[in-house]
Amino acid sequence: MALLARVADRVYWGARYTERAEDTARIVRAFGDLYVDFPVAAGLRWDPLIAIGGTPPESVLGVGVHHADNGEAAVLHHLIVDSGNPGSIAASVASARENLRTTREVMPREAWLAINQLSRFVRAEAPMSMDRRSRDWFLGRVTEISRRLDGVLESTMSRDAPYRMWRLGRLVERADMTTRVIGVRAAALLGRDTTDPVRRVDEVEWMGVLRSLSALQMYQRAARGPIESGAVLRFLLFHEPFPRSVRGCLSEIRRELQSLPGPSPVLDALSMLEHALVACAPDTTDGQAIDADMDRLQTAIAALDRAIAERYMRTHTRQ
Amino acid sequence: MDERFAPDGTARRASQVLDDLVGRLGPTGLWERQRAAEAEILTMGITFTVYTDGDDIDRAWPFDVIPRVIDGAEWDAVETGLVQRLRALNAFIDDVYNEQRVIADGVFPAELLADSVNFRPQCRGVRPPFGVWAHISGSDLVRHSDGRFYVLEDNLRVPSGVSYMLENRAVAKRVFPDLFERQSIRPVDGYADELKRMLTALAPAGVREPQLAVLTPGVFNSAYFEHSFLAQRLGAELVEGADLVVGDDDCVYMRSIEGLERVHVIYRRIDDLFLDPEVFRADSLIGVPGLMRAWRAGNVGIANAPGAGVADDKVVYAWVPDLIRYYLGEEPLIDNVPTWRCMYPDERRHVLDHLGELVVKPANESGGYGIVIGDRATPEQLAECASAIEADPRNWVAQPILALSTVPTVIGEDAVGQRHVDLRPFILSGATSYVTAGGLTRVALPEGSLVVNSSQGGGSKDTWIVDVEVGGT
Repeated sequence: MALLARVADRVYWGARYTERAEDTARIVRAFGDLYVDFPVAAGLRWDPLIAIGGTPPESVLGVGVHHADNGEAAVLHHLIVDSGNPGSIAASVASARENLRTTREVMPREAWLAINQLSRFVRAEAPMSMDRRSRDWFLGRVTEISRRLDGVLESTMSRDAPYRMWRLGRLVERADMTTRVIGVRAAALLGRDTTDPVRRVDEVEWMGVLRSLSALQMYQRAARGPIESGAVLRFLLFHEPFPRSVRGCLSEIRRELQSLPGPSPVLDALSMLEHALVACAPDTTDGQAIDADMDRLQTAIAALDRAIAERYMRTHTRQ
Repeated sequence: MDERFAPDGTARRASQVLDDLVGRLGPTGLWERQRAAEAEILTMGITFTVYTDGDDIDRAWPFDVIPRVIDGAEWDAVETGLVQRLRALNAFIDDVYNEQRVIADGVFPAELLADSVNFRPQCRGVRPPFGVWAHISGSDLVRHSDGRFYVLEDNLRVPSGVSYMLENRAVAKRVFPDLFERQSIRPVDGYADELKRMLTALAPAGVREPQLAVLTPGVFNSAYFEHSFLAQRLGAELVEGADLVVGDDDCVYMRSIEGLERVHVIYRRIDDLFLDPEVFRADSLIGVPGLMRAWRAGNVGIANAPGAGVADDKVVYAWVPDLIRYYLGEEPLIDNVPTWRCMYPDERRHVLDHLGELVVKPANESGGYGIVIGDRATPEQLAECASAIEADPRNWVAQPILALSTVPTVIGEDAVGQRHVDLRPFILSGATSYVTAGGLTRVALPEGSLVVNSSQGGGSKDTWIVDVEVGGT
């Protein structure tokens, strides 16, 4: 079966937006969990979550504005319901639905039902998530329906080009999200003094990072020692068996590309990304260095994304 | 005409199904099912687009839960009549683009063809397979106070609604599973398969497994839901003009991720004026340059054929009974609504003298636009209408105001009332013909209203063709 270049673009972005909504839900949920565990005196703030989406926190919270709730309401509004933020859960789900609405001829009907359900759910219930008690339930449902969508495709969709495009979108977004979470959290964590009482906090925060990538349990199984930054970073970057690790995503991207026609220019971009990954230094204690590593990875991911678009999604020039 | 009860108050034969339903559930139970159906429509994402909605691109499809019931025996006659009608219309289209015998023989006036905005001289001399031009058509039927079906108009360009007919059935089955088990209701599911068979037969010679494509104006078109739905059911690619390219070999290709791939048959859902900027409107951004070349060369099948709209004209409509007699030598099996043609002075006089009692229609509008209903128009509107007729008589026809039949409809939380309906069956014409079992019933929701268009506040119903003898009791 043929796949139109225009449709390839929409399937790919449908997957990226779905993954973005799911990942944001995971991150916010894990952070909320961490927040209530945290001693008030430690002064944990919500601001850094905004930076994960690439937005400077001041643009959402204002410069020098005091937020009695440490920014909780404003940040959650920004990340969950704000339709003006293209990375918010509401906006991502709306974009995912629009992309699937316009690719219904290649996607299984049940997939449309699932995204339609997700979209209706988010429209109706997102405002409820401002309340702590229902937030967890809301975010959990977003993740669940997003997972169900992949389950539908897994079990009913032929393994041809549209399926590969969907997988590529999911994996590229997922790899990108992992680097963003690491980048922002590492910068905030590693700049600190490592005197004893804070070290305890540090461990809790790394646990939060693992949780926000749904990685805690798998990390515990894979790592023998306690939770410490180098081991966590090694796991999230290089532990191939874990599906949200950058290495794991890249290996799957390679497999998907090899099933698509003429992938060599995209494979070249993927190789550059793999080089950037190998060059990361997880054992440094310099937060800025980790942050810079993650920036380089994100740049290489953006280049991969462009290579995919260039190779498979150009519709306006004769081939 | 009340479709449920005969004038003596007894339920009509096929309507016993409705008694079962309306009587047993009562208004409250029906309201509950109505709510269930609406929830189902949201879940299934059955939508339509209204241009004026701004951001809200797709809106939930309006559906009334009480089905519209038609007796199977009556329907069989309608089906035969529709097939007859389309045979004549296709013979007419083929004739006007080729020999024009109908004009030479004095049956159809030459000046009408000369003035027709839907006649495409670029199609002269083309001989599509089976002599068929209007492959997919939708004729609007109404039931008058005498209980008979009349054809109100023929839609031969890009008639829409069939996806809603199919989705209405899917919703009804979920809401009334028990009824489908007990009654003999004809299935409608075969449509997509028949459509695929018909389209496949339009492939260029020697192509056994043609690549089908549905050509849509794009995601903002009011019928995009249907385009997408049909592409899905056909296993066809849903393409926009920019996805297609005509090569130097006069073949049509689509831009896929593997490069250019040949397309053999196009079910076009854009008006033919926009199909090919090389031949028709040069400013069309949604068309495909060179498509007509490819079609004329026989390298691609196009349904409906460009130019088919020449017979989709409310003036040509008035000639259909004559065309049936002329081409088929048969008497029409379904009647036209009596129609006055303003191009003829005596008929125009009659129309102008009786404007207040007539429905006046422009010849080439669709979707209910431009229609003036005499007894509801203000004196100013009537005066405006009269001068429009004087200015361009050929573009106007008038018909009596019909008393559309009424059927029970959910009108509120605990209320069921009678509302006016029409019916759009879909007819496929190719090597053979196929008529949908029933069609899309549209219902005018405001009390007394006769306007059924969904773009103007109409709703819809599932249509049940019920075989009484087979169904028992």
